[in-house]
Amino acid sequence: MAYLEMQSIYKSFNQVPVLKDVTLELQQGEIHALIGENGAGKSTLMNILGGVHQPDKGLIKLNGQAVEMTSPKKSQEYGISFIHQELNLVSDLRVYENMFLGSEIRNKFGFVNVEEMCRQTTDILTKLGVHINPKEYVRNLGTSYKQLIEISRALLHKSKIIIMDEPTTALSDHEIDRLFDLMRNLKEDCISIIYISHKLKEIKSVCDRLTVLRDGKTVKTGDLESETLDSITHDMVGKSLSEDRMIEHEELGSTVLKVEDLSSPEQFKSINFEIKKGEIVGFTGLAGDGRTELFESLFGYRKNYKGDIYVNGKHVIIDHPKKALKAGIGYVPKDRKENAIIQDLNVIQNMSISSLSHFEKNGFIKGKLEQKKFTYYKDQLNIKVHNPRVTIDKLSGGNQQKVIIAKWLELNTDIIIFDNPTQGIDVGAKQEIYQQIIRLAQQGKAVIVLSSEALEIMKICHSVYVMYQGEISGYFKGEDATEDKIMSYATGSKKEAVPVG
Amino acid sequence: MAEPQMKDDQSVETKSNRFKNGLNWLWSDYSVVIAFIIIFIAASLMSPRFLDINNLMNILMQVSIIGIIALGMTVVMLSGGIDLSVGSVLALVGVLTVTALNATGSVVLAVLSALIAGPLIGLLNGLMIAKGRIAAFIATLGMMAGARSIALYIADGGSISGEVQSFSLISNSELGIVDYPIIIFLIMTAFVYVLMHKTRFGRYVYAIGSNEKSARLSAINVEKMKLSIYSLAGLMVSVAAIIETSRLNSISSSSSGQLYELDAIAAVIIGGTRMTGGRGKIIGTFFGVLILGILNNMMNLMNVSTHLQGFVKGLIIIIAVVFQKRE
Ligand SMILES: Nc1ncnc2c1ncn2[C@@H]1O[C@H](COP(=O)(O)OP(=O)(O)OP(=O)(O)O)[C@@H](O)[C@H]1O
Ligand SMILES: [Mg+2]
Repeated sequence: MAYLEMQSIYKSFNQVPVLKDVTLELQQGEIHALIGENGAGKSTLMNILGGVHQPDKGLIKLNGQAVEMTSPKKSQEYGISFIHQELNLVSDLRVYENMFLGSEIRNKFGFVNVEEMCRQTTDILTKLGVHINPKEYVRNLGTSYKQLIEISRALLHKSKIIIMDEPTTALSDHEIDRLFDLMRNLKEDCISIIYISHKLKEIKSVCDRLTVLRDGKTVKTGDLESETLDSITHDMVGKSLSEDRMIEHEELGSTVLKVEDLSSPEQFKSINFEIKKGEIVGFTGLAGDGRTELFESLFGYRKNYKGDIYVNGKHVIIDHPKKALKAGIGYVPKDRKENAIIQDLNVIQNMSISSLSHFEKNGFIKGKLEQKKFTYYKDQLNIKVHNPRVTIDKLSGGNQQKVIIAKWLELNTDIIIFDNPTQGIDVGAKQEIYQQIIRLAQQGKAVIVLSSEALEIMKICHSVYVMYQGEISGYFKGEDATEDKIMSYATGSKKEAVPVG
Repeated sequence: MAEPQMKDDQSVETKSNRFKNGLNWLWSDYSVVIAFIIIFIAASLMSPRFLDINNLMNILMQVSIIGIIALGMTVVMLSGGIDLSVGSVLALVGVLTVTALNATGSVVLAVLSALIAGPLIGLLNGLMIAKGRIAAFIATLGMMAGARSIALYIADGGSISGEVQSFSLISNSELGIVDYPIIIFLIMTAFVYVLMHKTRFGRYVYAIGSNEKSARLSAINVEKMKLSIYSLAGLMVSVAAIIETSRLNSISSSSSGQLYELDAIAAVIIGGTRMTGGRGKIIGTFFGVLILGILNNMMNLMNVSTHLQGFVKGLIIIIAVVFQKRE
């Protein structure tokens, strides 16, 4: 008998059905993949198991006993830990304080036992291969660390079931491998894991069984052994997708962006590169390689840098995103919850926030124009939303990401930087986003794609820069790129002089 | 948003759910309006004099000054800040206005100097907060002490009275039965409402209060916005100061504006604006102001000691915040 059974779960939000008769069975000591398109209902199903939402109908059985998850606390008491899709750390608290938030260890006098909490924090983080001071403030840490802290926090409780909702979106391959080792160990201890991810390779390598959701229904459940990447993709999106390179060699136009000797203390140094009209350039590397900092500087979000930037041959000084925009540079940031989403604005307003001048008449915003434009992007990017007037945090993760991309497409800048653009996006929609990016290039824009996924870079980039510890360590043509080659430059085992101009 | 093609076997629940959702929506968006209606009905049952048109006008008249200040406070708080200096700045602007009035003998110049002084002081607040990176609470606390002190210095600790009688016409004229301050309050409400809900400025304020980092990465000039936001709050204080001064054609450097910041913040919170910014409505503040006004009026009509009125107000704020937390 299965350890956990979720039977015929129904759930609607504002009369819109999201889950329709979903069934999930979890064995003891298995890693169970839960996959499906953006908005299929994966997170909702897990929120029901985690006590965040209540089902309209349906039954949850633990060990054969019917249980009711009336609150997150209740769910935790039943031995369920939940790593949420979006980060939920308090950035003004220290690492160990976040780890033990709400379940502080106290000594016999009732005072919190800081030493013990720090010790346990260090223990768990070490298992994941992370070495940070437990007394560090979370706001000073990079996203990948934050995600690792979220994971560690779930491991702290002696849980029987761990829900992992896209835990690896901000992690590099190295950290992912560590996590998988840990997951396999947990499995040995008879702990069950529900693993949600859009990275099918990960799923293939670490999961035992899978359940596929489509449009709020269970369309498949079974062993992973008999599956191939192709058959899973097919179950998820209803068609096969090719792994081939999506661009040909094309004639490129004149140089649009030229960067000379850009340096910033402890972030990056001596960065030189240039991009032509119609070119898609990839930047890749491991976590902490400085590429995000580099492009945040180029976009004017960071001011503490030296060097020269030329746009269309003209020297520009960029010390605020507003100036970058004026110079024709757009930037789609990574980690949408922290950098891109405005939670209290609705979906349409999030799309239009940077381009309000397109929707103004006599100084007033015209809701109708906004709505019309949004409908256009909704069709273009296939954004799944029933009522675009709800706040954006009501959308599924992948659909939020699409809205953010729409926001920058609307700005229509000559140079556009995408930082990890397919974060949390399903395999089918990824393909559509790649096509969007390629279309931009064909329209004569210069596109920069930052990604830690080698495959992504190889698929759509004309040329590739690899970064290592804040420097460009390798450069080659997109068609010459291979995963091994990228890896050897990214880890610093190989380095070459970069041709300029 | 009902989807006709999706009617399946859950129709039994949907009906009650729909009702519940409808109520939820009404409650979460308009709880302050509902509270207002309840308090209004309670007040009219408790005191027969309450519904008297003169009494109602009197309430509006009394809330108009705090109301105008609260409008500016709403904008500040929506952006994630706070302005503790409004009461002191009102006194200072009042003192400056009367001084200008007496020096020039011109009502127009007096009003003009008020309308310049307030935004300038607000701009100073904004500069400390946006450029000096001082927490809004601290910066405006400093301004609160500083502005009061300068007002006291100029007026030598006492009151100063206007020597041009026509200045008092501003607050003491009426259109039909509606006093000018009420009209000014309503116009200001409409103005700030349109500003916040129909223009770029308002959208940016919400964005900054909701997620400042995202706002900056959306190419919003957050620093410049903060300067405008605090200047706008200063402008509202100017308008309030003109009404306050014109009422008796005099201003007291020591007692005018005392604790106005408290009342304004109370109105904003009762109106449902979130303390940390990003969520709230001008209409909410409008009704929050009215609720405060009715409570004050009721306590007067029922002869509750003025010393206890602060207690009631405090209680109401705390209840409002508790309700907010429940969401
Ligand atoms: N609180 C909510 N209010 C209204 N609608 C919601 C809410 N939460 C989720 N939804 C809707 O439910 C649907 C399923 O969302 P869910 O987050 O479960 O998708 P998902 O499978 O996790 O997708 P992704 O891969 O993009 O994370 C979406 O269409 C979403 O808009
Ligand atoms: Mg999800």
